Amino acid sequence: MLVLSRKINQSIMIGDDVRIVIVAVDRDQVKLGIEAPRAVPVHRSEVYEEIRKANQEALGAAPVTSGKPERATLRPRTKPPH
Amino acid sequence: MQQEQITVDLPRFGPCTFGASEVIEFPWGLPGFPTLQRWLPLNLDSHPTFVWLQSLDDPSVALPSVDPWMVFETYDPKMPAYAFTSLEIREANDFATLCVVVVTPDAHEMTINLMAPVVINLRTRKGRQIMLDGSDYSPREPMPRKTAEKASASSKSA
Repeated sequence: MLVLSRKINQSIMIGDDVRIVIVAVDRDQVKLGIEAPRAVPVHRSEVYEEIRKANQEALGAAPVTSGKPERATLRPRTKPPH
Repeated sequence: MQQEQITVDLPRFGPCTFGASEVIEFPWGLPGFPTLQRWLPLNLDSHPTFVWLQSLDDPSVALPSVDPWMVFETYDPKMPAYAFTSLEIREANDFATLCVVVVTPDAHEMTINLMAPVVINLRTRKGRQIMLDGSDYSPREPMPRKTAEKASASSKSA
């Protein structure tokens, strides 16, 4: 793993279009600012990990089902969000 | 329109025939299944409430999901920008939303992942599971009793 030292308001670039700024440091907590293209997802690692676990649990717990499989028709949500 | 028909033998559901245009591509896979990119949404006539996301790259993988608004009418996910940008979604009619559920074998207890809805562009048939980081929605929200009973009853009445 690459390890870099930065001061407050300094930043690092990842590739050409992701910039991470050290916004504040308070004891064991660091506040980061992230500038990334709109198509790039940014989330905390533990959120990803939690969703990964939930997906695998959904697979493991899925009941043995019988029935004829038919293609599901997917529809947009009919009621507009308020 | 004539299109190529594909038949696969699914370990969970048996033989299934579908058209190539019905496949949904998940270019980024799904968390936990990063290499599985081609999925087919299936209904079972015995469980109409569920949409099974069936992997075509690994036929042993199928995830049950539901339309979240069938369960929580007030569900109001604030989609991050990357959801619509990366999937090229321009308007509300462009996409469908599904939430993965965890079901116990007797179907009496279910949880629904409201924190990471699966969003599918119906025009391009591309999908992605979106993380609502910072939202209060739980990845394991207990399914209300009513819905759980409806789902298991529908399996008996079929």
